[in-house]
Amino acid sequence: MAATSTAFAFEVAPAIAILPLASFVIALFAGKYLPKGGALAGIAATGGSLLLSLWIALTVAGGATYNEEIYSLVTTPNSFDLHFGLLLDPLSALMLVIVSLVSFLVHLFSLGYMNDEGERGLPRYYAGLGLFSFSMLAFVFADNLFMSFVFFELVGLCSWLLIGHWYREEAPPSAAKKAFLVTRFGDYFFLVGVVAIFATFGTTLFAGPESFPTLAEEALAGAGGGEAGGGAGELSTFGFGPGTWFTVLGFLVLGGVIGKSAQFPLHTWLPDAMEGPTPVSALIHAATMVAAGVYLVARMYGFYALSPTALAVIAFVGGFTALFAASMAVVKRDIKQVLAYSTISQYGYMMLGLGAGGYVAAVFHLMTHAFFKALLFLGAGAVIIAMHHRQDMWEMGGLKEKLPVTYYAFLAGSLALAGIFPFAGFWSKDEILYEALIHGLNDPLLLGGYLMGLTAIVFTGFYTFRMVLLTFHGEPRTHTARNPHSLGWSVKVPLVVLGVLATVIGLINMTPVAEATGLHIEYLHTWLEHGIPGLTVEHYDEVLETVAGYSAASLSPLLPAVLSLALALAGAGLAWALYSGPDPDHHTERLGDIRTLLMNNYYQDEYQVWIAETFGTGVARLSDRFDQSIVDGAVNGISEVSLLSGDRIRRIQTGIVSNYATLLTLGLVVLLLSVGLAGGWFL
Amino acid sequence: MVAVQFYLLLSAAIFCIGLFGILTRRNVLFFLMSVELMLNAANINLVAFSFQYGNLTGQVFSLFITALAAAEVAVGIGIMLVLYRNFGDVDVTKATTLRW
Amino acid sequence: MILELLIGLCLLGSVVLFVTPNRYAGRLAAGWSLLPLALSLLMYAGFSGQGNALLGGQLAYETTVQWVSLGPYTLNWHVGLDGISMPLIALSTVLTTAAILSAWTPIEERENQFYGLVLFLEAGLIGVFAVLDFFVWFVFWEAVLVPMYFLVAIWGGPRRKYAAIKFFVYTNVASLVMFIGFFTLVFGLGDSIASLDMPAIAQALRAGELGSLAGVGPGTLKTLAFAAMFAGFAVKVPIVPVHTWLPDAHVEAPTPVSVLLAGVLLKMGTYALLRFNFTMLPDVAQQYAAIIALFAVVSVIYGALLALAQQDLKRIVAYSSVSSMGYVILGLVAYTVYGVGGATFQMLSHGLISGLLFACVGVIYNTTHTRMVDDMSGMADRMPVTTSMFVAGSFAYMGLPLTSGFLGEYFVFLGTFHADFPGAAWFTAIAMFGIVIVAGYLLYAMQRTLFGPFSVKTAHADGGAMRTDGGEGSGSEAEHDIDRAAAHDIVPLAMLLALVIVLGVAPEISFGMIRDAVGPLVTAGGAG
Repeated sequence: MAATSTAFAFEVAPAIAILPLASFVIALFAGKYLPKGGALAGIAATGGSLLLSLWIALTVAGGATYNEEIYSLVTTPNSFDLHFGLLLDPLSALMLVIVSLVSFLVHLFSLGYMNDEGERGLPRYYAGLGLFSFSMLAFVFADNLFMSFVFFELVGLCSWLLIGHWYREEAPPSAAKKAFLVTRFGDYFFLVGVVAIFATFGTTLFAGPESFPTLAEEALAGAGGGEAGGGAGELSTFGFGPGTWFTVLGFLVLGGVIGKSAQFPLHTWLPDAMEGPTPVSALIHAATMVAAGVYLVARMYGFYALSPTALAVIAFVGGFTALFAASMAVVKRDIKQVLAYSTISQYGYMMLGLGAGGYVAAVFHLMTHAFFKALLFLGAGAVIIAMHHRQDMWEMGGLKEKLPVTYYAFLAGSLALAGIFPFAGFWSKDEILYEALIHGLNDPLLLGGYLMGLTAIVFTGFYTFRMVLLTFHGEPRTHTARNPHSLGWSVKVPLVVLGVLATVIGLINMTPVAEATGLHIEYLHTWLEHGIPGLTVEHYDEVLETVAGYSAASLSPLLPAVLSLALALAGAGLAWALYSGPDPDHHTERLGDIRTLLMNNYYQDEYQVWIAETFGTGVARLSDRFDQSIVDGAVNGISEVSLLSGDRIRRIQTGIVSNYATLLTLGLVVLLLSVGLAGGWFL
Repeated sequence: MVAVQFYLLLSAAIFCIGLFGILTRRNVLFFLMSVELMLNAANINLVAFSFQYGNLTGQVFSLFITALAAAEVAVGIGIMLVLYRNFGDVDVTKATTLRW
Repeated sequence: MILELLIGLCLLGSVVLFVTPNRYAGRLAAGWSLLPLALSLLMYAGFSGQGNALLGGQLAYETTVQWVSLGPYTLNWHVGLDGISMPLIALSTVLTTAAILSAWTPIEERENQFYGLVLFLEAGLIGVFAVLDFFVWFVFWEAVLVPMYFLVAIWGGPRRKYAAIKFFVYTNVASLVMFIGFFTLVFGLGDSIASLDMPAIAQALRAGELGSLAGVGPGTLKTLAFAAMFAGFAVKVPIVPVHTWLPDAHVEAPTPVSVLLAGVLLKMGTYALLRFNFTMLPDVAQQYAAIIALFAVVSVIYGALLALAQQDLKRIVAYSSVSSMGYVILGLVAYTVYGVGGATFQMLSHGLISGLLFACVGVIYNTTHTRMVDDMSGMADRMPVTTSMFVAGSFAYMGLPLTSGFLGEYFVFLGTFHADFPGAAWFTAIAMFGIVIVAGYLLYAMQRTLFGPFSVKTAHADGGAMRTDGGEGSGSEAEHDIDRAAAHDIVPLAMLLALVIVLGVAPEISFGMIRDAVGPLVTAGGAG
């Protein structure tokens, strides 16, 4: 009986993604005839997805896993097999729940944010949300890298559609274009990576004995014994040693990750993407597009664990991004901009965790972040509704009394973001830093990542509470802030749900407490321990140790935890000291040139636009001129020469019959003479 | 019996007279007459060789050419009349519009 | 006899349309074009061919009739389809119907002749893909040029004469070069062939029966013939640097003609390359694979860069066709199932997508009378459905998954990356960068023309004055002019888009038969 219900759960699992797809179709074609512009279909679909995901999670909790092909695009004998499949293991089950939950809440919130505000184009909006949920859910349960790429790209399309939702204005279409282009640039490397992995291993399966991480591991194990490159067996490594080649492959896929997860230097699209409707921002940053990159690394962690170089780079880029983005968030005036940079920063932490060998920690942070960032964005959305679509924090203030539900939910999210005990972010961020530290004591690159991550905590605490204080505390600074718009239930319900989650979800993996007390309360760790062989935490730890040569220093987690908490409190305290009064000053003005630099985002946009203009448009103009003048010039030149010579030669035709007769006679004479000379008549 | 060479010489001479006429004259009428001379030169050749080899084909051809010449004169004089009507003259160098 | 029926239907339709009164011509043409369309789809559904047409495969709908003897050679009427030609014939009929429908609005004079020529063109295209005897094939190959010339020269834009003559002379000279190349092979084969039957020639060549000709040994002869044929077909594809007729022809041609030009005519070039160069002379193709791949990569990147520099929507799509056809060449060189099959799939996919985009540009042009990116913005506001189609088509062009554009390119990359020629992986990786550039210019064009505040600058209406209409329903002059497209404009777009998505989700519909047809080519080619 249990077996059949398990099988049945897995049978219906594709519906998790199909339901939002159906809502996409309904909203697109029938949205304008439906009440609420198709919102109800979306809510029903994502609600259904959520229930199914929970069922799958329960089934997986029972120890069952699923790894099957469901739809074959192309089957080619003796060559690569392109198919869609389902990989349901603890990681994907967990992620399915997160994505469908956030997506469901975002749909619900949109009722308040979009419908009640008299928005036009609602069918388009809900169709976009449905397609977005579909793409992301399918991405999550993908069983091979090809399928991941397919839905990774679709996620990009959806972000374009939704960021550019208000297409009648100038800025949103431009931001949408930028988001798509920058992530596409990253996806280029991902595409090369997918094709190269196909060409190398003949498969892109994530799991099973025929999967590419397993094959790579075997190849390396073989190479370790014999001479370099000899052990690669039948794998074609394109002239490189297997270790080097696998690192190259890792980097190629990482390109897509850096683009989608907005890591330095491809993070520039994300702050611009704030042009989209706020619920969309919540969806993009909390659970879908940006999360896709990090999730991909986690999904193929068995492959990355083989390459210490790739891991170290991931960790360093992550740590750097965490610090870099956090510093920019410090000076922003727009509430959504602060959240945007905090998103970049938090994903930096996840990358740091993955790179440092903290697989569980990174997944943990992915989860907690999904909840508290969705909460913060929806909270910001609520504030924006209340403020009649004004987003400058200096125009707010004192909203605490007017919007109590929003305030407490937002506060919970902020405490989680800043990493204050015992909110969710504290546990997960602390675990990442702990992992980075214990592995980093033997590796300077990781240690660098750790130190940057540690520094970023102060910034995080500061900008988070600057945001909270400016928005909710003090005296209202404008008329709008004194008379905010009231909020409906569809806005409040998601905030409450997420607020509760942001508060308590960290308790599922309290590593420091577990270490201190000896209790087995690291539930997430346990959750990720079972599953498909080769995709478990034990396996990753083993590979990290044997292949990548990671070794953990033995260190109590308590001290680092206290350290990071102290730093977070220091940052928060600084913000309190500066901005807690009824009418705070613009303290960041005192930073002078540094503020200008930070406001301009270290001129990242400028140099990237410069590169794009010079090497894109510039080269394009140049080749156009070359094409018009040289290539087409040659073609027209040939025709010119023919015309010109024709024009000259036709002058022989005078129109005077006598001349023709003369020519005729001369021609005959010449002909006779030459025939005669050749024939030797005159000799 | 006269040797064929003499016929050929006669033919060449008449041909050259005709050619000279075409190259030097401007009047269409002279053109036409010169062309007739050249055609007859060709006829003499044909008849001479026909006589030489005892083959009648050449003589038959000369009859054809005579017929052709008659037709040509008809057309030629027609052209001449049109030329006169259009240019007020029968000078061939005046009618130069038929070019490029 | 069904293929003869198909060609005959098109020819008959052409004749009938020439004598139809102008006012009924459009509707009659659309209705008539449904006949070959339906017939070709029936043929597609009942397709039973196996293997490659030139390599002794089992042909579908085959007929052979002896025609005349020309010297030592017998000329036959030999038609038949394999998995490569069948989809291309279906593509031709689909795009002809789409083109005819999208011609209803813009073609306003001498309609009967226009549609008559279009159907004549269709007959020529089907002939090129179906005929297997070189002599007859060449007749069809050249016959396609004639209607195309008139379609551009009569109904085209301001510089139509220049464009039409350039197109005609350029491709005709190319045909001559190709013809010489092919006959070098025919004469080199000498007595080993008794007809100009392409399968016979291909098999004789692959069996190594090529002798010397005029003191030139078979090896050199093959290389020379390959080069001549490659150069000849390259113009048609077109491959950089012989591509410059294409943008001119596209810009000047009326939109429905652009649909056919980009959609099917370019495929003639790649189809012929596949049939002649890559099937008949695989050893030469593999020997010079790296050079050919270089041409392909240059076409991809250079074409995309040129598209990036354009302001005219039609020029953008035209240059991006150069880029897309580069992928086809790259796939052909690979000699893998995914490479050659992907190239064929890409032909199909590009035909549909470029047809779709050209038709979209046409619909916009019909109302705005401008194609310049700078002259319009915010079209989405007035033409939501057309905009949706344009957006979908553009994303398909960029290779968005679940559209055929993605799979075409992906197959090619997959097939070429591990191909045998030196540097295959590098060539592929560089060519893939095309997907970033294509996204760049299409997104740019969409952002500028479709989105943002609505405004249109029409040069023809009131002396180039700016006519802006910001508010909703303010009822200005522009409001009346720029309106939703008519249903018959949208139908072809929707039809093509549906096919693009169907092929993107279920590629096996055509990739199955394509794979079957390229299989013998790849395995017998020796490259595995």
